[in-house]
Amino acid sequence: MSNKSHGSVVEFESVTRSFGSITALRDFSLVLHPGELISLLGPSGCGKTTALRILAGIDKDHTGLVKIDGKPMTNVGANKRNIGMVFQAYSLFPNMTALENVGYGLRVRGVDSTARGKKAKDLLELVGLGEQSNRRPTELSGGQQQRVALARALAIEPRVLLLDEPLSALDAQVRSQLREEIRRIQTTLGITTLFVTHDQEEAMTISDRVGVMNKGNLEQIDAPSNLYNKPLTPFVAGFVGLTNYIQGFMESKSEVQVLNQLLDISDHSPSLKKGEEVRVLVRPESISITKASSGATVLTKSFLGPMTRIGLDAGLKELIYAEVPSKEAKKFDTGDHVKISIGTDSVMVESV
Amino acid sequence: MRKLSKFNIFTLIFAAFFFIAPLLGAFGYALRGVNGAGHSLVNFRWIFQQQGFYTNLGVSLRLAAVTALLVMVLMVPTVVFLHLGGKRWRRLIEFVCLVPIVVPVVSLAIGAQISMPKWLQSTPYELCFFYVIVSMPYVYRAVDIGLQSISLSTLVEASQSLGASGLTTLRLVIVPAIRSAVTGALFISIALSLGEYALASLLHFNTFPTWVTNVSQENILGSIALSVSTLIGAWVVLLLIVFLPKIRSLRKVSVNV
Amino acid sequence: MTTQIQTEEVLTASNRRQNLFSGFKFPKTFLGLLPILSFAGIFLVWPLSAIFRASLHDNHNHITFAVYRELFTGIYREAFITSFKLAFLSALIAGFCGAAVSAALVRTSGTFRSLISSASGVLANTGGVPLAFMFIAAYGQDGLITKFLLWLHWDIYAGSFDIFNFWGILFVYGFFQIPLMVIIFTPAMENMKKEWAEANDSLGGSHFQYLRYVAIPTLIPAFLSATLLLFASSFSAYATARAMTIGNLPLVPLVIGTLVDGNVIPSEANLGDALAMGMVAVSVVVIAAYLALLRFSKRRS
Repeated sequence: MSNKSHGSVVEFESVTRSFGSITALRDFSLVLHPGELISLLGPSGCGKTTALRILAGIDKDHTGLVKIDGKPMTNVGANKRNIGMVFQAYSLFPNMTALENVGYGLRVRGVDSTARGKKAKDLLELVGLGEQSNRRPTELSGGQQQRVALARALAIEPRVLLLDEPLSALDAQVRSQLREEIRRIQTTLGITTLFVTHDQEEAMTISDRVGVMNKGNLEQIDAPSNLYNKPLTPFVAGFVGLTNYIQGFMESKSEVQVLNQLLDISDHSPSLKKGEEVRVLVRPESISITKASSGATVLTKSFLGPMTRIGLDAGLKELIYAEVPSKEAKKFDTGDHVKISIGTDSVMVESV
Repeated sequence: MRKLSKFNIFTLIFAAFFFIAPLLGAFGYALRGVNGAGHSLVNFRWIFQQQGFYTNLGVSLRLAAVTALLVMVLMVPTVVFLHLGGKRWRRLIEFVCLVPIVVPVVSLAIGAQISMPKWLQSTPYELCFFYVIVSMPYVYRAVDIGLQSISLSTLVEASQSLGASGLTTLRLVIVPAIRSAVTGALFISIALSLGEYALASLLHFNTFPTWVTNVSQENILGSIALSVSTLIGAWVVLLLIVFLPKIRSLRKVSVNV
Repeated sequence: MTTQIQTEEVLTASNRRQNLFSGFKFPKTFLGLLPILSFAGIFLVWPLSAIFRASLHDNHNHITFAVYRELFTGIYREAFITSFKLAFLSALIAGFCGAAVSAALVRTSGTFRSLISSASGVLANTGGVPLAFMFIAAYGQDGLITKFLLWLHWDIYAGSFDIFNFWGILFVYGFFQIPLMVIIFTPAMENMKKEWAEANDSLGGSHFQYLRYVAIPTLIPAFLSATLLLFASSFSAYATARAMTIGNLPLVPLVIGTLVDGNVIPSEANLGDALAMGMVAVSVVVIAAYLALLRFSKRRS
């Protein structure tokens, strides 16, 4: 394809941004490799949008360095960085048609109207809106507007693409459809992309790597599977995927007593003191249950397709959720007593 | 929010000068003592000492009250109705309510003079009806915008399912829900009634504004003092309306903590 | 067979229900619209139609448009032209000045913003003698500001400025027109999404290009309707005009006023009515022009 661009290398070096007494971004360092799609994932206020806006050049009051292709962006204004940006909503110019919106970046670069029109039309076709080029933003649905916004960002052939929660304002169905398309276009064009979202399913399904952020800190940056299976901090473990938090007690420095089971956790938790009260984080699929005459009671069963989530009352404040293959789940009815076993290899312990 | 540009700051400074200058000039004048010598607050007291102050103020206050009442009874239910069942008629009625903006008050006055029945023309309360007409565009817009920001049909359905009649729903549910819009609308119509001059003068009624204008011819300093105090006073009242709820809610928060 | 009959019965029954319902709707809608329509009918339409009818009856009670011809002559013609010029210029100048203040206002917040907003509300309603005397006290020949500017070596009375002539009145009108513009126009300014400016930035556009291609085209409809309101406000202003002029400036509201007060006996009894209708006619023409401009601007961008 003639407009195949190669992505840039993007580097954040110890970027810190504070708003008064609140530190929105703390010592943020990240390298985006060419053509990579990295998602920044976290709850509101974690700093992900701040990082994106700093890269875009819209936010200038920060310490630390931002480099694109090795070149520092400290004195480079937002309109000179050649970065494509898709906002969450409302960003299409209301007085222009879809075609005119897409062609805008070219217009301000002095491209003549025939060339502009053709390029804009091609891009609209790329995002599936060839027929709607003469419509105005108010005449387009939310999903369509975001496609136009994407086409508009791509028109200037950026080497970096920024997406600030582009799908958050859309319906669930449109969302999943559109995110696949964004990923497809991104890999075809090979543009380095930074994607900001609070939806973990979104981040996990389309990204090469995901950076989980919390209160201005980048807690872990890794491939989605590693985030899920090898979380580095309790926050990541709790934020990505479903987690049980079960009270426990340190029998010794490397053994934890939880739910009448003694687990050896010497290789994957920070050193804890003997006798300390702790919380054990366990994934539902690491919990296995067997029928017993007494013990925890089956309270709820939720059919999820291949797996079934079973809610167990073990006398604690909250239910414990186990996920078992649905074929197995058929054996258990509500009211049955079960014995709970926790698999030792995917467990994390944190102090209370 | 974007930062103020140099042009913005220049505009604000220029505007400040344009608006504060006459006020300062007038204030300076009004502070002049008797026979133009020295400084004194005598001019500020002057209007209260004029005969007819309380009579005419009373007239205007009563007119304002009746106008406010008419506005509430006429406009609020109508706009609510347009939002609920009468959606088809919305554009038409909106047009009707906006027409008074472009009808010159003078023309309305002449028309009133030759068309209204004699018994109506003999009472100053005739003005109230026309004040409603003149404030209609602003009142309509205020109530309309207020209703747009609440989910009216949901509220009404909930209220009716709990057994409330239409009128009760209006009184206990709808009006409180759009309280700030209604307050704004009432404020507009009251302010208009209290300060309206053209209609009152052309229809030969004595209201507070017409009386003040007449009396002002005799004492320029006094009337200048009055103008300045009215402006500042109205501004203070508006500020209170804006800031009082905020102060009250602050107090509530500290008590709970 | 029975099923068929049953279906038909059901159909007719549901039809009946619908007729009942639609029949029921009619009085409800009627009741809903009755108050506003009758109120506007009595206190707006009736007076205006009365003037229209009266303007057509001359001194001998014949129906004729003759009196309207007089509107195009002499003092009346002058009055219409002056009123129109005043309203037009006032709307335009206050339009731009007010828009500039609005643009600054949307970038402020909190206490400062509330102060300015409430001040606008108060200032927009000033007029008449209070306003006139304030301006005379400040900018009159003997005014404090005049003296202050003289001290800065600027004699504002050196040229054609006079607080009592056309330009002086235009100046005074600004005092309530500009705040009025701020009140009307600020919501339109607030609707300008910051994402548009940021998108423009990220696409490489300069601030000027943003204004030219996005901001101004988007604001034109609101600006036009706001200036229309300013025109109407200035055109029909009565109290301030009366307080500021000493009979030296012909303005239609004032002419009508003198006829009503009985200070001048016109040649035709229905002249006042014709003048009043004339004002309505001007308003109608201006609205038509505004609507045409609106359509034109929407097509152009």
